[in-house]
Amino acid sequence: MSDVIKLIVPGKPEYVGTVRLTVSSVANKVGFDIEAIEDIKVAVSEACSNIICHGGASSEKNNDYYVICTISEDSLEIVVEDEGAGFHLENYTAPDMEALNEGGMGIFIIRALMDEVVVNSVINQGTCIRMKKYKKSEA
Amino acid sequence: MSLSLVGNFEEATGKWTYSLSGEVDIANAHDLREELENAYRKQAADIEIDASGLRYIDSTGLGTIIGVLGEMRENGHRIMLKDVRDNVKKLLKITNLDKVLC
Repeated sequence: MSDVIKLIVPGKPEYVGTVRLTVSSVANKVGFDIEAIEDIKVAVSEACSNIICHGGASSEKNNDYYVICTISEDSLEIVVEDEGAGFHLENYTAPDMEALNEGGMGIFIIRALMDEVVVNSVINQGTCIRMKKYKKSEA
Repeated sequence: MSLSLVGNFEEATGKWTYSLSGEVDIANAHDLREELENAYRKQAADIEIDASGLRYIDSTGLGTIIGVLGEMRENGHRIMLKDVRDNVKKLLKITNLDKVLC
């Protein structure tokens, strides 16, 4: 059976570091090596930043978002989701790195660092970024 | 999450030298932008950043550096990151920014 850790986080930039520290502690507990823990830290931080950037506009709902860590024997799954404004996922394209644009790198980085990534976003319903990393099997 | 950016303009080399340490994310990336933009406005020159103490940076921080660099490149100036830690180097490589900043 999997263990689940759930965080409810105010949608404010100053708490992204708190989520990062918490998730890195969970990843350490699961038994990931230092490089994998760094990957997970960056991916979760990018997901939180994305949620904060695209979240708050829906004023009738609260501004909190949720981070759900599911610990399995061979993997760690992290879901970062909110009930905010969402964004047009179909408009998302991988950034052109040669163009040196400031934004748009977050999802690209998450996909590069995690083994499985699913992003869903519905306007006025929210965004859900689901990512999973497997432990390397012992050689 | 603390960020420290300390630097000055070196007359001898004609460039800004900074030491950046701590963590840069969505909470403090604007501080980084403000400091670098103010420096460049004061004296338009290359900016060299010692990143040996930079433990963490995400796309918000990198985007900030790219934003400042965009203005500087119009005048032919650069931002260079030196002594980058392995975890930061990995992120620069993924985003192809190592070719521009290292």
